[in-house]
Amino acid sequence: MADLSIDFCGVKFKNPFMLSSSPVSNTAEMVGRAFDAGWGGVAFKTISCGKTKIIHPSPRMHGYHYGEKRLIGLQNVEQISDRSLEDNLLDIKYLKKKWPEHVVMASIMGFSGKEWGDLARACTEAGADLLELNFSCPHMTVEGAGAKVGQANELVQKFTEIVKDSTYIPVIAKMTPNITDMTVPALYAKKGGADGIAAINSVKGIVEIGIDDWTPRPNVGGLGTSSGYTGPAVKPIGLRFVSDLARCKELNLPISGIGGIETWIDALEYILVGASTVQVTTGIIHYGYGLVEDLAEGLSDYMDQRGISKVSELVGKALARLREPDSFDLSRQGIAKYDMERCIGCGQCYVVCRDAGGQALEWDEKKRMPVQIEEKCLSCMICSFVCPIEGMITYKEMPKNWKRKDAPSLGRKLKK
Amino acid sequence: MSEDMEKGWDISQAMIESNRCLLCYDPPCSKGCPAGTEPAIFIRKLRMKNITGAIRAIKERNILGGVCGAICPTSLLCEKECVAANFDRPIRIGKIQRALVEHSWKIGFYPLSKYYENKKDNLGKKDKIKVAIVGGGPAGISCAYELAKFGISVTIFEEHEKIGGALRYLIPSHRLSNDFIERETSELASMGIEIKCSKKIKRDDLKSLFEKGYVAVFLAPGLWKGVRLENRAVKGVYSAHDFLYSLKEKPQKMKKIVYGKKVGVIGGGAVALDCAEACLIHGAKDVYLIYRRSFGQMLSEENERICALRKGVHFLMLNQPTGYLLDENGKLAKIKLCRTELGKEDKSGRRAPVEVKGSDWELEVDLAIEAIGSQVDDDVKEIHPDIKFEKNLIVVNKRKETSANSIFAGGDITRGPGLVAEAIRDGKEAARNILEEIKKSECEEKVVLASVSPRRC
Repeated sequence: MADLSIDFCGVKFKNPFMLSSSPVSNTAEMVGRAFDAGWGGVAFKTISCGKTKIIHPSPRMHGYHYGEKRLIGLQNVEQISDRSLEDNLLDIKYLKKKWPEHVVMASIMGFSGKEWGDLARACTEAGADLLELNFSCPHMTVEGAGAKVGQANELVQKFTEIVKDSTYIPVIAKMTPNITDMTVPALYAKKGGADGIAAINSVKGIVEIGIDDWTPRPNVGGLGTSSGYTGPAVKPIGLRFVSDLARCKELNLPISGIGGIETWIDALEYILVGASTVQVTTGIIHYGYGLVEDLAEGLSDYMDQRGISKVSELVGKALARLREPDSFDLSRQGIAKYDMERCIGCGQCYVVCRDAGGQALEWDEKKRMPVQIEEKCLSCMICSFVCPIEGMITYKEMPKNWKRKDAPSLGRKLKK
Repeated sequence: MSEDMEKGWDISQAMIESNRCLLCYDPPCSKGCPAGTEPAIFIRKLRMKNITGAIRAIKERNILGGVCGAICPTSLLCEKECVAANFDRPIRIGKIQRALVEHSWKIGFYPLSKYYENKKDNLGKKDKIKVAIVGGGPAGISCAYELAKFGISVTIFEEHEKIGGALRYLIPSHRLSNDFIERETSELASMGIEIKCSKKIKRDDLKSLFEKGYVAVFLAPGLWKGVRLENRAVKGVYSAHDFLYSLKEKPQKMKKIVYGKKVGVIGGGAVALDCAEACLIHGAKDVYLIYRRSFGQMLSEENERICALRKGVHFLMLNQPTGYLLDENGKLAKIKLCRTELGKEDKSGRRAPVEVKGSDWELEVDLAIEAIGSQVDDDVKEIHPDIKFEKNLIVVNKRKETSANSIFAGGDITRGPGLVAEAIRDGKEAARNILEEIKKSECEEKVVLASVSPRRC
């Protein structure tokens, strides 16, 4: 088994896999079981001072299903921890005492500058290894908190400064994706002294509108809201924001990647675009803590097979090849290549090529097979996305002198 | 084992299965359905969560779509053509079809009733054009429905107390319940189809129908007599028809007759399997399925055969029954059997069974059920002097016309024992040609038949 340990903001992790601050990290009893299952660390469920009473809406979550696939996304309106400050601090103490090798990052949210400072001191005292500042919960029932802070750059800087003044442990700012450019508030956090960035928090969304009661889901006493949307469906958005942060030279801070991670490949993708730890919630909501076994084994085997000895060697490895579209070499063109021996003759490729591609396929009715006209192929590759035979349709680069045939204009006939 | 009809899938299971469908271009499954149910269409609709549309797509094409979903040998029809089988297993089309139809009952969605409403509005000449259907089995029901769609005033004359034909009287409850048939056909009345039960059409009645203003007749009386092994009546020996009919009509009496007994069922088709399973369900001690050919040559679906094996039917293959031995009271005591082996190919393309000399033996049984074919009732043969019969079946042309004027025919009476889906197809085709004939004659009289032009029929 490869060595999966990694340094994040000067703290050593057994592996890069963490529970994110969420329902899955609500109590020490839960986190303890997660540690035993193999998770390297936890962002403990966001703690507040307890002066403002936190009550979770009911019901608090709603699943997004696609076809037979359950839970490709999840919307939740769960608030930060509704437990007392004392209980939470005791739990952090307990975890550090019983699992000293595991990392406990206390996630905190103050409702005033003073509260941020108080929380930072209390959690540091309780033995937390790091602090994560929740600037990003998109559905706080408390006015002016969560993502509202994360969208106000000066507040990000100010609260980070207050926290930094109140602790000696590393401070991570957790960012909201519900903005255009995440590097802006991230730089303000850095100005305030942040040691690292965690991203992304949940994306604001609505997973379902009830068509019988005309009420968005989850239906909270007859009302709905747009709130934190997570799960596999948001991974592309997460990868984009994390890579933005990682490519920002001015920022240059360690990143904890979050957003739709279920498998070791998802985790590796976040690492390749610059994350050095990754955090998981929706995957655990779907499959439980046991998930980590496959995250660790999958990543370890991948590293062994490639002779990579440290996870840190992989961090940001895809960034050099991540560019703006204007850097593409447009002289390189290709087509979809069909391995006809494997074709089972469903004809979905024919339908989509005709209606959404370059009309580059003809249909052999007798053989029930597509026949490709290479020079009309746009290389959009949509045929390969609908093909039920994995790998039957692949991309093939064509020689430089190859030319694609233009789509005919029917209007030209009118002219004649 | 329960005598209740096996439960179907619920709509969510059907939805999940529909996601496996490859949504083929030029879908082969649709071509595999004799009844023209076009599974590719309702599966795509279900996939797109258009559940009501999927139900409509089934019922508009096949009035007995639910029944077909429940009892069709799909592995030999639509599912046999399924492209998904090329890399996995076929889509369970029958299961989806049945689930959708049962779901329509659950949510109270009846897509066909609209035809009657349209008819009332559009057809000023209501009741003008009348067509009679003789026989309320699948062929008759299908024909009646297809005609009613176009505003024809249809009357079904059914000999039995209820419509359904062989579905109701010859398929045991564990495969198809009466309740299921009733729900499935409940829309016929709301489409304005008149159903006259316990009304047997005899020779003279057929003539008088035309006198009463019916412009065409569709004959689909079915085959209600079993082919028999011996001419004499033996106590303890039943034809499959008699057995299954009594089981449905006098279940208590038949259960007593079967309970604790050793039964020999003769035959290798779906009807034989139905009889064998029904006997086990009703407590028979041992059930032997006696077939002169081999397991692989049986015409029933393979999974149905395996199912029967699992349920405990003893398969006695390659054995030809040669007669019965009776006890001193004249009651069946033993079936005389002779072992066979497979010889040369016969007309059916299968190797024919040849009796092995000197291999005679006797199987002790209490009951024997002969499921070896169906034949026409004698009085049906005399239903009309102009109707030609050949090999005891009514002769029809491609248009389903008999040799008598304006009399069409379909179903088993024209083809021999067939599938429900084939009977439905016959009814549809006959209806199409009846409509054509009506349109022709109406045009001559300068009266245009007001079609309610269903959107997708």
